[in-house]
Amino acid sequence: MGLLDRFKSKDKNRRAVLIGLDGAPYTLVRRFIEDGTMPRLAELVKRGTLLQMDTTIPDISSVAWTSFMTGANPGRHGIYGFLDLQPNSYKIYFPNSRHIQCTTLWEEAGRRGRRSIVINVPSTYPAQPMNGILVSGFVAIDLNKATYPPEFVPKLRELDYRIDVDARKVQESHDALMEDILKTLERRVETLLYLYDNEQWDLFIGVITSTDRLQHFFWDAIEDENHKYHSAFLDYYALVDDFLGRIGERLGDETLFIMSDHGFTGIEKQVYLNRWLADNGYLKLKENARSIEDIAEGSRAFALDPGRIYLNLKGRYPSGTVERAYRRALLDEIKQGLSEISANGTAIVKRVYERDEIFSGPRTDAAPDLCVQPIYGYDLKGAVNKQELMDRDLLTGMHTQDDATLFISAPRDDLRPDKPHITDVAPTILASMGLTAPEGMDGRSMFARE
Amino acid sequence: MAKGFTIWFTGMSGAGKTTLARLIEAELKNREHRVEVLDGDIIRTNLSKGLGFSKEDRDTNIRRIGFVCNLLTRNEVVAIAAAISPYREVRDEVRQMIGSFVEVYVKCPIEVLAERDVKGLYKRAFAGEIEHFTGIDDPYEEPLSPEAVVETDTETPEQSAAQILAKLEEMNLIAPALPDAYSDEDDEEIRRRLEALGYV
Ligand SMILES: Nc1ncnc2c1ncn2[C@@H]1O[C@H](COP(=O)(O)OP(=O)(O)OP(=O)(O)O)[C@@H](O)[C@H]1O
Ligand SMILES: [Mg+2]
Repeated sequence: MGLLDRFKSKDKNRRAVLIGLDGAPYTLVRRFIEDGTMPRLAELVKRGTLLQMDTTIPDISSVAWTSFMTGANPGRHGIYGFLDLQPNSYKIYFPNSRHIQCTTLWEEAGRRGRRSIVINVPSTYPAQPMNGILVSGFVAIDLNKATYPPEFVPKLRELDYRIDVDARKVQESHDALMEDILKTLERRVETLLYLYDNEQWDLFIGVITSTDRLQHFFWDAIEDENHKYHSAFLDYYALVDDFLGRIGERLGDETLFIMSDHGFTGIEKQVYLNRWLADNGYLKLKENARSIEDIAEGSRAFALDPGRIYLNLKGRYPSGTVERAYRRALLDEIKQGLSEISANGTAIVKRVYERDEIFSGPRTDAAPDLCVQPIYGYDLKGAVNKQELMDRDLLTGMHTQDDATLFISAPRDDLRPDKPHITDVAPTILASMGLTAPEGMDGRSMFARE
Repeated sequence: MAKGFTIWFTGMSGAGKTTLARLIEAELKNREHRVEVLDGDIIRTNLSKGLGFSKEDRDTNIRRIGFVCNLLTRNEVVAIAAAISPYREVRDEVRQMIGSFVEVYVKCPIEVLAERDVKGLYKRAFAGEIEHFTGIDDPYEEPLSPEAVVETDTETPEQSAAQILAKLEEMNLIAPALPDAYSDEDDEEIRRRLEALGYV
């Protein structure tokens, strides 16, 4: 009997738990396991397999978590960033849960009669009806719209639940931000454990996002033992470790998953692709441009955060100038130019992907023409108001695509040998619950060994 | 996941089927649906080329349009048919086949249509230059229980379209308008939060 059959028969009613740690890098988690910062996770990891995982391109949370929840690539689910342009327009909109074109993991579980608790997954705002309880994560604003069913809002208020860290606190001081990060974690953990213990569920998904905020603003503290926040950084991860331990204590025969949506590394420089496009004659902006909405006539290409480049094609955009026939040549020219951007004698672009290399599905028409992947240390940005190609600001940490984390409480031998991709997580969770993945998931279950 | 369904406009020539089909098409595309319009005038130049206006030919035309709508609907596309489709029986036949079917009766008194005479057809029909003209020497059978009725002699095209969209939302076939899912203040707040993390 194949492993899949075994899951089907024996594990029909098995439950699964997924704890998300936004942006927790595999290499850092490994290091904290080894150096004793995360002893309880170290114990858990002995009971399963800890793997390095690839995430989406672009490697930002809105795209990555949507690929997590749908098991699909952006060409299918339609989310390419935190912001996008409306069809045939330069007008920005902020994609929300209603823009997701695919079935989510919990919708699928719900269809099969399984109840889910889904807390703080980014890009699930506004909360959509489902079988269970869902509280949306970033960029949720209003707790009422972030919570399904609405009857659960009073309990959240009673628990003093926090939707998110307010990153603007850093303008005040780093202390204020750190305090908010710790407070948010504390309230989140309490709420998660309350739900874990007091609700009926088959699938429990709880995401910690303050890891990401911590790392954006305090990454420099981790390498430098004399840094003011060095021990605060370690202490924060110790709190996360304690939470993971408390989940571990509660585990029966549930399959436990721990994952992050991308990795992290330090920033040398932020790189403004729109500056590069403008300097090289591809982009024209109106005076005092604030966003790409202020693009001027005669532009041939523009960029959106983080490394998405769009050709200003005739027919695709209101003042598109580029003929389809010229698309190929222009792509090649821009790719060549990008490969020549360097800092301290090193090329900062690792690879430029073309749309069809990484996206497929009905929403591919909304995809960027190119996705630029930088080397570690060079964070690509979509800002349009920069005079220099590169600079630094308050952010000290940036995302990485190849160093996300995946832990599965199953022996290595039960899993496929190849490196997991974030789209594999949903089918893997479903398989662990004895459910087959619905059509339209690009990923494959890690249990599906050939 | 977006659902497929068919919106079937029926009504006399000049009542507003094409106008409304195009308005609804644009709005649904904005809301990220895949949409295809099957307009009677266009269908008669290709899929139904050569067919005339006898009852038999009209029914064949409607069956063909219905057939394509069915294919589209089951592939998660919103199919919008805009053809006079004067006969009730064949309309009900395609409704049966497609299942997820929203019949919209585009209603307008013939005096107003003759007055509008968008294509100059009424003038010619009254002069006896066109035979089998629906509403003049050919019957139009009103739908008995359409999902929506729009009265285009008293409503603006935008009002009629809004009424149809509200019906689609009520039937849970489409989600409420997307770009407006956030208020302007929400949009500003989201923008500020994204700016704080360097995303805008
Ligand atoms: N509420 C309304 N809805 C739609 N059209 C309207 C409305 N009010 C006025 N009109 C006008 O009525 C005319 C409808 O013409 P249209 O070509 O859409 O008709 P049709 O039903 O497609 O005709 P045909 O069957 O000959 O193709 C247009 O000029 C439109 O501007
Ligand atoms: Mg027409």
